[in-house]
Amino acid sequence: MKAVAGRMKRWRNSLRLRLLAGTLVWIVVAVLAAGWGLSSLFNKHVSRQFDAELGTHLDQLAANLVFDEAQTLRLRAPLSDPRLARPLSGLYWQVDRMGAAGEPETVALLRSRSLWDAVLAVPPDALADGEMHVHHVRGPNDEPLRMIEQVLRPAEYPDQALRLIVAATEDLISEPVARFNDLLGFALGALSLGLIGAVVVQVRTAWMPLERLREGLAQVHDGRNAAIEGRFPSEIQPLVDEFNGVLARNAEIVVRARTQAGNLAHAIKTPLAVLANAANRDDSALARVVVEQVALAQLQVDHHLARARAAAAVQIPGQRTAIRPVMEALVRVMERVHVERGVQITVGDFPETTAFRGETQDLQEMLGNLLDNAYKWASSRVDVKVAARNGDLVVTVEDDGRGLDASVREIVLERGVRTDEQRPGSGLGLAIVRDLALLYGGDIALDASPRGGLRASLRLPRA
Amino acid sequence: MRVLVVEDEPTLAEQLREALAAAGYAVDLADNGRDAHFAGDVESYDAVVLDLGLPKMDGLTVLKHWRTAGRTMPVLILTARDGWHEKVAGIDAGADDYLTKPFHMEELLARLRALIRRAAGHASAELVCGPLVLDTRRSRATVDGRALALTSHEFRLLAYLMHRPGQVVSRSELVEHIYAQDFDRDSNTIEVFVARLRKKLPPELIETVRGLGYRLACPAG
Repeated sequence: MKAVAGRMKRWRNSLRLRLLAGTLVWIVVAVLAAGWGLSSLFNKHVSRQFDAELGTHLDQLAANLVFDEAQTLRLRAPLSDPRLARPLSGLYWQVDRMGAAGEPETVALLRSRSLWDAVLAVPPDALADGEMHVHHVRGPNDEPLRMIEQVLRPAEYPDQALRLIVAATEDLISEPVARFNDLLGFALGALSLGLIGAVVVQVRTAWMPLERLREGLAQVHDGRNAAIEGRFPSEIQPLVDEFNGVLARNAEIVVRARTQAGNLAHAIKTPLAVLANAANRDDSALARVVVEQVALAQLQVDHHLARARAAAAVQIPGQRTAIRPVMEALVRVMERVHVERGVQITVGDFPETTAFRGETQDLQEMLGNLLDNAYKWASSRVDVKVAARNGDLVVTVEDDGRGLDASVREIVLERGVRTDEQRPGSGLGLAIVRDLALLYGGDIALDASPRGGLRASLRLPRA
Repeated sequence: MRVLVVEDEPTLAEQLREALAAAGYAVDLADNGRDAHFAGDVESYDAVVLDLGLPKMDGLTVLKHWRTAGRTMPVLILTARDGWHEKVAGIDAGADDYLTKPFHMEELLARLRALIRRAAGHASAELVCGPLVLDTRRSRATVDGRALALTSHEFRLLAYLMHRPGQVVSRSELVEHIYAQDFDRDSNTIEVFVARLRKKLPPELIETVRGLGYRLACPAG
């Protein structure tokens, strides 16, 4: 029951099945109606032709009837159709003499040879002179017959009423009709099959763009594509365009938020730099307060800007960033900027296709801070590994510096403190990495590297 | 040593000029991208401090123009946006180092010294030529441990030669690297500076290469 209900539901919910079923019902109904119509039309046509033929025979019969000298009714010449001479051939004629009351007086005054000794029994009816009636009767072989009758009064003996009857077996109608119906059934069956095939093909063809759309959406969702690609039929294209528009607008909002955060940073940090520099050249109490407060303000600005940037990184579907180019760019920066440190960086091999399901700048931010941190603390080397683990990817960055105490590690992640005032940087690095990673459903863990320094393991969603 | 500072915020630019001048550099200022581009193209600088957010032409574009034109002087970029995006873009455009605002002036000086030293191919902060030692961190020169009393022009001239020991340096090259742009230049004064330097230094350390210029001849060992 449940399975049936489920199937019913699927039927009702599937546009394709609904369309298919509707069209099939329609085709069946149309083909049946056409078959019935054509068949009855043909039947009518054959019957009319049959009646016309019977009429011809009747006319021929009437024309050939003569009275001889003994006033006996006879045929001037035998009728032309050979079937009338062959016994029980299925084509018969008969002439009755009618009484005054319209009752047959002498049945079978004359009859065709084909009738042999049988007599055509006419259902009783009142027939006016010259009128023609059609009857269905049983013949000598008990076969169904179609019969026409007409009462005539010969010109020479107008007091005599003669009933002329011509009958033929109904097989002559039903046979061609049956043959026609067979042919019609076959033709219409073939037509229905063709139509059904065409409908199935058409529905499938019409559905192909929808299938492509579904695949496109899946790609966007998995982060394999940033937008739905390709041209679609004009009925679907507006939908695709709208959807791509929404994606683009979302991405644009993130970019705008970033730019605003950047502009704010620029607007605030330059004056802070001026203040700090001016105060640093002075040794007054005021200058000391300024230096102290500027450092505090800087920390606050950094903190909130980082949060603002991270908050802008809402999960937009369709984001995908390949790890390798970002890693390579950052390694270039590290090698250039920290050339004095003489630190050797090793990036373990990983597949070209490894990608992060998220935005490029966010990945740059996370990896950049991790690498920069490792470079600052390393005494001679930094090791980076990228590995795929289940649906995630894990980036491990290790250095051989002096590491962090277990007690400090959590604090570093929580609030982003500077553990060493001598080294440059706002000290927010790892906290920012963690904020961003959490937003993407990832995380960062810190522990001790076997090389002695800090090991940071960043887990991120893989695209 | 001559440095170009490109910064559109006038107070910060002035602070940079003062700090750099105090450290012994000849300093030119540019407050927009177009002027900076032109100055970097036609003048010879030993280093450039380049702010990225500039009017008329942004810092990255200026930097790319210089690098495309084959200008190789070390460039330290200043950025207020502390995203890695901008740092990567800066380094890929040809910058040698970056500093995020606000920065400590001492750090800027240290980075700049390191850049100039690296550009000249020196690994150490102290340049040595026989008994003569130039401490780039303190902007000080000593002979056998004795500090030399040098004017800023004399120091710049000596530092320039010390960064290129054994190389012949022409008089016009010295003029380019010792004076700031708005200074009234006269190549004859170079001879006066060299003569004064020679008096303060051990004899025959600065050789005159006739028709070509000067060379710092460091005794082997």
